[in-house]
Amino acid sequence: MSTLNAYILTIVTFIPLGGAVLLALFPRRDRDLRVFALVVSLLAFVLSLHLPVHFARHHAGFQFEQDIQWITTPNIHYHLAIDGISMWLVLLTTFLTPLCVLISWKSVHDRVKEFFILMLLLETALIGVFVSLDLFLFYFFWEASLIPMALLIGVYGHERRVYAAVKFFLFTMIASVFMLAAILWLYAHVGSFQFADTQQWLRGHGTEIQGAAPWLFLGFFVAFAVKVPLFPLHTWLPDAHVEAPTAGSVLLAGVLLKMGTYGLLRFNVGLFPDEARHNASWIATLAIIGIIYGALVAMVQPNLKKLVAYSSVSHLGFVVLGIFSMTQAGQVGAVFVMLAHGVSTGALFMLVGIIHERRHTFEIAEFGGLATPMPIYATFFLIITLSSIGLPLLNGFVGEFLVLSGAFLAHPLWGILAATGVIWSACYMLWMYQRVFFGKVNHDVNLALPDLSLRERIALWPLAVAAFAMGVAPLIWINAVDPTVRNVLSIAAQFASQVVAR
Amino acid sequence: MPTSFFTGTDYALSLPMILLSLFGLGVLIIDLMLPAEWKRWNAITALIGLGFSTAAVMRIQLGHFADGRPLVGSFAYLSNVGGQVVGSVLMDGFSIYFFYLFLLGAAIAILMSAHYLEIEHEHHGEFYALILFSVVGMMCMASGYDLVLLFIGLELMAISTYVLVGFLRRDKRSNEAALKYLLLGAFSSGIFAYGLSLLYGLSGSTNLQVIAQALQRHYSANPKDPIAIVAMITTATGLLFKVAAVPFHQWAPDAYEGAPTSVTGYMSVAVKSAAWAMLLRIFLWGLYPLRPVYLPLLVFVSVATMTVGNFAALSQNNLKRLLAYSSISHVGYMLLGLIASDNITNKTGIQGILVYLLVYTFMNLGAFAVVTSLRRRDIIGDEIDDIAGLYSKAPTEAVLMLLFLLSLAGIPPLAGFYGKYFIFLSLIQTQHYVLASLAVLYAVLGLYYYMRIGSAMFMRPATDPEPVAISPGMQVALAVTAIGTVGIGILPEFFIRAAGWSLGIQQAGTSLLGFLR
Amino acid sequence: MLHLALFSFFGAICVAGAINLLAQRHPINSALSLIVVMGSLAVEFMLLGAEFVAVIQVIIYAGAIMVLFVFTIMLLNAGEEERSAGSRIAVLLGVPALLILMGLVAWVLIRQNPASGTVAAGALPGTPPEIGRLLFRDFLLPFEITSVLILIAIMGAVVLARKEH
Repeated sequence: MSTLNAYILTIVTFIPLGGAVLLALFPRRDRDLRVFALVVSLLAFVLSLHLPVHFARHHAGFQFEQDIQWITTPNIHYHLAIDGISMWLVLLTTFLTPLCVLISWKSVHDRVKEFFILMLLLETALIGVFVSLDLFLFYFFWEASLIPMALLIGVYGHERRVYAAVKFFLFTMIASVFMLAAILWLYAHVGSFQFADTQQWLRGHGTEIQGAAPWLFLGFFVAFAVKVPLFPLHTWLPDAHVEAPTAGSVLLAGVLLKMGTYGLLRFNVGLFPDEARHNASWIATLAIIGIIYGALVAMVQPNLKKLVAYSSVSHLGFVVLGIFSMTQAGQVGAVFVMLAHGVSTGALFMLVGIIHERRHTFEIAEFGGLATPMPIYATFFLIITLSSIGLPLLNGFVGEFLVLSGAFLAHPLWGILAATGVIWSACYMLWMYQRVFFGKVNHDVNLALPDLSLRERIALWPLAVAAFAMGVAPLIWINAVDPTVRNVLSIAAQFASQVVAR
Repeated sequence: MPTSFFTGTDYALSLPMILLSLFGLGVLIIDLMLPAEWKRWNAITALIGLGFSTAAVMRIQLGHFADGRPLVGSFAYLSNVGGQVVGSVLMDGFSIYFFYLFLLGAAIAILMSAHYLEIEHEHHGEFYALILFSVVGMMCMASGYDLVLLFIGLELMAISTYVLVGFLRRDKRSNEAALKYLLLGAFSSGIFAYGLSLLYGLSGSTNLQVIAQALQRHYSANPKDPIAIVAMITTATGLLFKVAAVPFHQWAPDAYEGAPTSVTGYMSVAVKSAAWAMLLRIFLWGLYPLRPVYLPLLVFVSVATMTVGNFAALSQNNLKRLLAYSSISHVGYMLLGLIASDNITNKTGIQGILVYLLVYTFMNLGAFAVVTSLRRRDIIGDEIDDIAGLYSKAPTEAVLMLLFLLSLAGIPPLAGFYGKYFIFLSLIQTQHYVLASLAVLYAVLGLYYYMRIGSAMFMRPATDPEPVAISPGMQVALAVTAIGTVGIGILPEFFIRAAGWSLGIQQAGTSLLGFLR
Repeated sequence: MLHLALFSFFGAICVAGAINLLAQRHPINSALSLIVVMGSLAVEFMLLGAEFVAVIQVIIYAGAIMVLFVFTIMLLNAGEEERSAGSRIAVLLGVPALLILMGLVAWVLIRQNPASGTVAAGALPGTPPEIGRLLFRDFLLPFEITSVLILIAIMGAVVLARKEH
């Protein structure tokens, strides 16, 4: 069991890669390719279930560790491990990928092989980001996720796909170069890329890095802020989302954006707690602006997918606010919102993709009264809408509540302003729902639309169930996250008290 | 009182060059006897020659280097100077590393060229002979410890390259490129020779070690000595010209654009490596006492080079010119390594340059191999329009080209990252933070023009539907470069250690593959 | 004194010949100017005590190589060079800059090393035995490599200029 424990992360990370390589050798029989991709992603999911089952709930540190020296100079280790935060993110990734395969069954018909290869490569890169404990390895997986995503958008997307793909790629790549500079600076002084070593060194050499610490913090911050995306670096997101194929949007919103927030929590707060505390106010301000701005812009969108994209900006503002409230509740809430958002927005994009497959448009004006021809679809859509708004009993509520209480603890004004975000999100989501589903059918073509097929229902059920489960029994998730966050915050508190005491 | 002046050591040391010359002559003779369809045998003979030469280099490395001491050839037997026997050929790890690099570059270039020359109807044996002879010149440049040998090697390599650039006789661009390269090259060689003559005047000898000692005495007595400065500037001018650093880079885009594409690849890799070997040899071994003097010059040149190279590449539509300007910007990064590290107190930068040249060989030759294969019946294959939609015509090639472009941009885990990494590391270790941030910013800029090519390949439709035929030689070349780029990216340990060994850096510990040197 | 006068005189002729080479429009005139340059260089070598090199200079350079030059020019029947629109700015900036540069270098050299103005005849190795020793022992490898260099020069010329079938 212990060897399996040591190797499980490698297996989970690289099974999609192995599947991609095997897919490359397949002949071009579309149906077989899809089935194989589904099997591979399901296999990765099932294996990743080993992680929560065998996770020691009340243990705060890293588990399932595997550490091999990869290169001696520079001193890079192949070091994988997870803790409460990253475990659920890994599971989110492996959970969403088979659903993405299912949702793209019919909508991708050209160059199907390359599509699934890219998706599986993307999955490996995404899981790798969450499990790496070596800064270099982390950076490698971070960069490795860019190309498949850019290609998925640029080759399989909609009209302005090339522009969106290039914008996405350049934006994120340029931002991550600053992170690379910070990583290299740290390596030059620490002598190792390991997360634990770096953290320890930073704790011990506080005075030495007085001048450099703000810059290092900023370097990491820029890379993650673009990814989150934090206002005002969010401009790549609407284009990328609208032009991406459905599966691309799901993975982009569901997982890729979480890379940014995970990075903020793990590296910015974990490595530089002092700087995090100092900068918390302006970062939280940006987050709140993002919440409100995202919601307001979403309200006026005529394009359904763009609306959901801006809702992402709004929701992830909550996450950043929670993280930089520097409270237990806030940070646990932030992690929970990450997971909840992954489920609900992933589902939203799938639902939008379903209607696009039928009508080939995202314009809200083209819809109207869809509840009549497609009742089951309308039901799913309502569940997910309510989850996104944050209705109690669904997953959105738990996370948002925790974040708001943390924000309120940090600064009452933040809590109040962010709470208005809940109101705004209810506004635009419900209004959108009303325009699309309720009332009479405006366009005759909508009358003949077929309801959800079996495949689409199979893709959506797990998400709906997850939304309920997370809302009704959040402790299953929070139990693992809580000790980890406590650990992160206690280090931050230790550090702060060290600095103050000096 | 020389006892014998052509010993077994000398024979072994010059064996690689002798073998290459013999095979070059052999190719010339065979070419006379071959009918037109069998001209490939020239290429095969040349490759066999490279193989024999590699074996000779291995023999030098394994047979004589058991304890890692440098072997000094007694070709130039000078009486004991400072207690050491000093010769004109210094075969240390540095030289051997570069020998391997040259042989590799030449081999891949030959593989790329065969089919290309057939299409151009210029498939003569002299091409391969010239490549072999130019490698001889490069070997002299890398292992030479004496100004005369360095200069002769430089001229040998340069003249072969002039002819190679002008090889497409009916193509006006080729003629123009060769003429420009020749004139500017001859001019810079003249300035270089003037600098060398001043160095001789200062020290009374053409041996680099004697020159270094003389400069040490001269300089410590007279820190502002203008003759030394003039000597250094003129020497540096010649060297920087060969490396195509700003402001001596004007010949590069035209020469790269006009030359046959496989020759461009060869020039950008092997000729540049040889120029770097000579530059490092002279700056680190010969002109070392003048380091405080040439450092500001290098800073200016490297910043200017990165700036011009990156900005000029942004607006290029011709693939070869774009890659030429990207070459220029890469030289700028490498110069940063020389600024940061002086091979005595800090060797990381120099190790970085060596690693950079190795990975650069693979990735640049790979990129040029893809561009070479675009040459079809009526299409020259130079423009970005010609590479558009490559994914639909030759998907493997498009993917490989993407790998090469990403590697050139310096993205892990591809090979190009390690070159940039070591240079950045050395800059940070020696606290040149401003230069490091500049380098990072310019690396980012580089992404844009590499991605332009990438997006043209994948996301634009093809401008002409004719399929791209890839000859077996080209396939091997692409395979070798691709494996090198990805392989070094994932398992760089061996090559990093090799570069370290060549500089005398001892490394402890084992890694994933347990390779120890 | 006489030594210095002769040296400067032939140096001036050398430089004048070189400038004339550039200024002449007909290649034959340029070739003849080059012969003048070579000849005066030979005299300079002689004045520095390297009589062997001087004689070699005359025999090989002025004798063989320049004859080859003239022969080629006559073979190609090269006519007068066309007057192309030169850049006035280049001449206006370049010539004074060059003169300043040269003056600077010369001044520096003379001031720094006053001894460099005087060389005694026979102070440097120039006799045939010494040259032979240098060529075939100390610099054997460069000597052999030079032969390869000449080979590729010939080969290159043939490749670039050969008639097509």
